[in-house]
Amino acid sequence: MATSKTHQVMPLTSRSWLKSLARLEQKKLTLSAIWGVLAGGHTVLLVVGLAWVIDQLVIHGRSPISLTVFFFGLMAVVLLRSIFQAMQEASSAEASLRIRQHAREVLLNKVATLGPVWLTRQQSGAIATQAVEHIEALDGYFARFYPQMRIVVALPLLILCIVGWLDYLVAIFLLLSAPLIPLFMALVGMGAERLNRDQFMAVSRLSAHFVDRVRGMTTLQLFGHTKSAQKEVWHATDEYRRLSMRTLRLAFLSSAVLEFFSSVAIAVVAMYVGFGLLGYIDYGPSPSLTLFSGLAVLLLAPEFFQPLRTLSQHYHDRAAALGAAESVVAILNEPDLVPSASSMPHVDNAVIELHRADVGYEGRATVLAAVDATIHSGDVVAITGESGSGKSSLLALMAGFMKPKSGECRYRHGGQVAWLDQTPCIIQGSLADNLRLAAPETGQASMIRALQRAGLGELLSQLPNGLESVVGERGVGLSGGQAQRLTLARVYLSEAKLVLLDEPTASLDAFTEKAVIQALLDWAKEGRTLIIATHHPAVVAVANRHFTCEAGQLIEAAS
Amino acid sequence: MKQFYRVMKPWLLILLRRRQRFLVGALLVWVTLLAGLALLGLSGWFIAACALAGILLAAGLPSNLDIYVPGGGIRFFALLRTVARYAERLYNHNTVLTLLADLRYRVFGNLTRLDEATLKRRRASEWLSRLTSDIDTLDNLYLRLLIPPFVGLLSILVVSGFIALWLPVLGGLIAAVLSMLWLVVTLGFAWFGFSNSYQQVDDQEELRRLVLDQVQASAELMSYQTNHWYRTRVNRHEAQALSNQRRLAYKSSIGNALVLAVTGVLLVSVLWLGSFAVAAGQVAGPIVVMAVIAVLGINEIFTTLPAAFLKTGASYGAAQRLNTLADTSSETPSLTFPNAYRGHPVTFNHVSFRYPETAHSVLSDIAFTLPAGERAVMTGISGSGKSTLASLIMGRISPSQGKVYVANCTPSHVTEESRADHFALLTQHVDLFDGSLAANLRIANTEASDQQLMEVLSQVALDDWVMQQPKQLNTQVGEKGQQLSGGQARRVALARVLLRDPAVVLLDEPFAGVDALTAMHIAKSLDHWLVGRTVIYFVHQVEEPALLPNVNYHWRLAEGKLNTDTFDNVGNNPS
Repeated sequence: MATSKTHQVMPLTSRSWLKSLARLEQKKLTLSAIWGVLAGGHTVLLVVGLAWVIDQLVIHGRSPISLTVFFFGLMAVVLLRSIFQAMQEASSAEASLRIRQHAREVLLNKVATLGPVWLTRQQSGAIATQAVEHIEALDGYFARFYPQMRIVVALPLLILCIVGWLDYLVAIFLLLSAPLIPLFMALVGMGAERLNRDQFMAVSRLSAHFVDRVRGMTTLQLFGHTKSAQKEVWHATDEYRRLSMRTLRLAFLSSAVLEFFSSVAIAVVAMYVGFGLLGYIDYGPSPSLTLFSGLAVLLLAPEFFQPLRTLSQHYHDRAAALGAAESVVAILNEPDLVPSASSMPHVDNAVIELHRADVGYEGRATVLAAVDATIHSGDVVAITGESGSGKSSLLALMAGFMKPKSGECRYRHGGQVAWLDQTPCIIQGSLADNLRLAAPETGQASMIRALQRAGLGELLSQLPNGLESVVGERGVGLSGGQAQRLTLARVYLSEAKLVLLDEPTASLDAFTEKAVIQALLDWAKEGRTLIIATHHPAVVAVANRHFTCEAGQLIEAAS
Repeated sequence: MKQFYRVMKPWLLILLRRRQRFLVGALLVWVTLLAGLALLGLSGWFIAACALAGILLAAGLPSNLDIYVPGGGIRFFALLRTVARYAERLYNHNTVLTLLADLRYRVFGNLTRLDEATLKRRRASEWLSRLTSDIDTLDNLYLRLLIPPFVGLLSILVVSGFIALWLPVLGGLIAAVLSMLWLVVTLGFAWFGFSNSYQQVDDQEELRRLVLDQVQASAELMSYQTNHWYRTRVNRHEAQALSNQRRLAYKSSIGNALVLAVTGVLLVSVLWLGSFAVAAGQVAGPIVVMAVIAVLGINEIFTTLPAAFLKTGASYGAAQRLNTLADTSSETPSLTFPNAYRGHPVTFNHVSFRYPETAHSVLSDIAFTLPAGERAVMTGISGSGKSTLASLIMGRISPSQGKVYVANCTPSHVTEESRADHFALLTQHVDLFDGSLAANLRIANTEASDQQLMEVLSQVALDDWVMQQPKQLNTQVGEKGQQLSGGQARRVALARVLLRDPAVVLLDEPFAGVDALTAMHIAKSLDHWLVGRTVIYFVHQVEEPALLPNVNYHWRLAEGKLNTDTFDNVGNNPS
């Protein structure tokens, strides 16, 4: 895969990843910024127009009727402004949607190439959070913050030019505050970042306390301790409130500073213009001030600061996106575990050939060294060994879930492999959906046949919706035995010539255990190749070849 | 609408219980807003007045314009806006966090009344994160949906009233147009985006489940080569979810454009109508300037409203989910157990149990009697129904069929306090709380002295370990007891049980994860403590009969049925 190769060359950072995502929708994002500047430009036009009309009415005493054309002009400016505003939002929202869709796709592809072996070491809930909540957390950054970053550069500059044309002293005053803007940004940035971090930490500590108590609800009930725990929940939250208020008191100062400068700018401009108009100031452009130019610069002063204030409102979007990106990038930077290509076995009827293969996880000790083994078509292979001796890793290697650390593993799969382990996997959905996991194109009749063969015929007849009955957490609960039988039905349904089983009978009742062993015999008769990691003597007896994992070696017992 | 009110009512009541904080918070936001309007409006008036006075002065005529009062006013409002903004943010965040405590208190209270079967279905961490984010959603109601519209309405009244002092017709027009706009962007947009935002939460849940399944079924998807098929499913759902989000985004941009257009048109209209008043000499020019600038600034109160109200559906969904937790509480039990001197007898009368919506019974037709003060061992593999049986004895769930009696009472009809006093259960899954070792032990007995704690710890052979810790009884156990090993955590849980004085004791795998020597030590102290109590040990299989002394009843659970064990595999106590 092309993308994964670039990851290996240079590890991604959350910043570089966000940047590369923005590049995907550069056109829409730039367009959004342009619409934004146009909307802002029309606000400028509107206030300057208002100032001019007011000047004409109040100072020059023109009749309202003679200004009708200008009123219509202002109406047009108002309408155009709201259209541009809507375009800005729609355009950046669309860009954000597409970016999130892409980012999720990249993440899910990556999860697929990391494979089952890597996933067993992860919390599946955490990965779901990354693929859903964390990707969604990118929305604010692309839909609001990113275009605003462009607007904040262009719009104040435009306003400064117009103010300069009207009265250069006011422009100089605003310009003097301009070097302060990066300072504001840093102030706001630091404040917001700190605020976010502190808030985030306080909130997550708080949630942890709450979740801790809810999780242990059974114990609290058993000891009749629920009432005092409830009070404790309140006090803990209140205590965190007191603590976080202390940091908030500082953090809110940065936005207050921005507010202060914007207010002071208005006050200073108003005083300057007022005194100028009264003729109290007689240097520079002041004597030529009119109500038009004075009112216009007054109304433009807050507009000069407005983009920055908007940016500071969206600053938490950036922090949220960076935080979310960090956790996603950590996954994207993981080295792939699943082999991207494999070669065919050299021996004719071999299904799998291991040639001096070292089995183990990248960055950890090798569990089985220099394994040489050839599995022939139709073999029934039992692999035994202490827990932790490398049985499961060997099986994962044979299934193609991971690469050997060194040496070679050659497959003749071409088609499917059937996989069964001790925890039966039931996905949310109907019985039919669960069976489609093994054979998406299969028909109803063959599904029913497979269920009957697996001993679920009785259950199926009891369910009112038959194959369409929803199973799993949200639907009909299955017992452990029923769930394992459903996974057997998957194997019956699939055409897979090779069946890999990881301790399939470890946690089953005696009755289901018998059914599983019967199924193994059936498959062997069908000419499928079976590889079974097991402790069970009955299963070993069924096998025609028997390997043992011992002291980092794979040893075949003479049969 | 009625339905909406019914669902939201309990939560709105909690928010509104802090009425005073709400009013002060709203007042501060309102002052901030008005200070901003006043600053700009007064400046506009001042400039216009100065311009007129300047013309008079230039013509050599006297002018009686007082520049000091308006100048002071401008400085005052500039300062007021800054200070009020800071105070408002601080005060309202304080309120939001206080409300969070209130909301959690309420939800936690509802959770304590849930029975075992409901809790069991909900213990997954997925559900916990959903729960906390639902509470946060309701907490956000305050800053997003309550304060802004309230302040908006107040500001409309003040601004239009102020303008009406000079120009009553214009004031009336402004009030009418802005009130209409207010209605549209609040109630109108709540309705406009309701189904979309309600859907959005469901979509995310569904997407989460799909991804979760992709992760959990990754071995199957890869080996059967059905990854592609599954991803098509995910993509199909995602495309649907995104088109819903797109609709929501478009509606939000329409809302903002509407606010800009209406306030803008109103602004130009005010100037146009005002200009006739100036021309007719009804009002001075600077007053019209002030009115125009006030209207110019007022769109600030509307800008957050459309987007916030579009999300009403999501808040409704959160309230709905949290309400389901409160609805399950049925009639409150009132019985209490009699005092016990030799434990209570336990009787199962043809009991079956099936969790709602499952295709199989966990227990079917169980019948036994365990006399007071006797001990029994119940064996069975995991999933055979041992913990369900324990929950039935303790009345934490009720049987689907048959009757359970403990001391001739139906345990589910006994009050929680009395049950807690008379039963003790060591669960297989140990819950330790983030806190000190002592705090975790004192859950069992709040008045236990340090000496008592050390005593029970020595009974489970943890006293030496505790003495070696630098903080001894104050050692932190960490979230979910992560700072302890699995075996240690189980022994702490057992020590917690030993601090109580129950009549019936149920021990699920009391020796799991403990080495043989320690197990023997624990068994001895247990044997002593268990005298005069009714006891059931639940174990996978009896590996060392000496650990379970004085047991006269041996039962085995398999496939939901109870069998009496033959004694040859137990040995210790043939009667």
